[in-house]
Amino acid sequence: MKDMFNINKLGNKEFNGGKEDWVHAKLIAEKCDSFKLDDEDELVADDLRSCYNCRYRRWTDKSFSCTKK
Amino acid sequence: MQILLCIDDTDNIESAGTGELAESIAKTIEEKGWGKCYGITRHQLLIHEDIPYTSHNSSMCFKADIKSEYLRKIIEFSSNFLLKESATGSDPGLCVVVVDKLLDRQKLIDFGYKAKKCVLTKDEAYKLANDLNLHLSEHGGTGQGIIGALAGVGLRLTGNNGRFKGKHKINADHSILSVKELCSYPGIDIVKSLDGEIINASEMVLLSEKVKTVLLEDKSVLLVYKKNDNDGFWNNCTKQQLRSY
Repeated sequence: MKDMFNINKLGNKEFNGGKEDWVHAKLIAEKCDSFKLDDEDELVADDLRSCYNCRYRRWTDKSFSCTKK
Repeated sequence: MQILLCIDDTDNIESAGTGELAESIAKTIEEKGWGKCYGITRHQLLIHEDIPYTSHNSSMCFKADIKSEYLRKIIEFSSNFLLKESATGSDPGLCVVVVDKLLDRQKLIDFGYKAKKCVLTKDEAYKLANDLNLHLSEHGGTGQGIIGALAGVGLRLTGNNGRFKGKHKINADHSILSVKELCSYPGIDIVKSLDGEIINASEMVLLSEKVKTVLLEDKSVLLVYKKNDNDGFWNNCTKQQLRSY
């Protein structure tokens, strides 16, 4: 799988699939050892194991950044 | 008297969420006999690089019917609670509005909507709180959470914003229930389609997702959709469908 993250202008690792790339967000989370499910009220993806549902994602204007280094 | 209580920016990535703290405050109000609390709503605010939120920039608000003599106690308790329970590095804010004493409802609603589109300042929040005769206080860090707390109350006042915290427990031995059965559960006032159509009591809903409601027209609404026009039953909406609420 191609690298789905870029470094944004704040120096953080930002997902380049935007907010609705459900497939890649799922695929990445499935292989991620740091994945941690967020509070139930903050879940937005139907596939539970998805970067979009991860405690360590921080939403940005266009996507999210991963706070795990 | 009826109050709205909203908190924001109480957490960090490792701590309990703001919703859990709101739930604890509501529980204490009831346990102490200060009043009766109603559903907690989550209100999404602007995501912007200039706003120092933890991960999603949302505030949590609930309505309560209280005895007026306990207003001061509720504010004191909530303030001390936030000071004690908010996470390291957070910037908690508290807003409490006595609905009948609010001087200009529309101005507060406008602030709420503005906080979804613009970067606002603490000065703007304090000025509005002062003008409108409501309680707004900060409890640690930069106190930046007062902006979201004030905005959250404004958005709750609209009666048309936010998802209710948590999910409804449906104690049924089958997953297809009538609208009438669903509306007999506390916290489900009405069932509507995504297009806004009110679904008749006799229609059937297949529950295949967590049952969550949203705040629409001051009601707790279960949203449903049809996967296929030929299906005889409705489906409750998925997380992805509820994301924009």
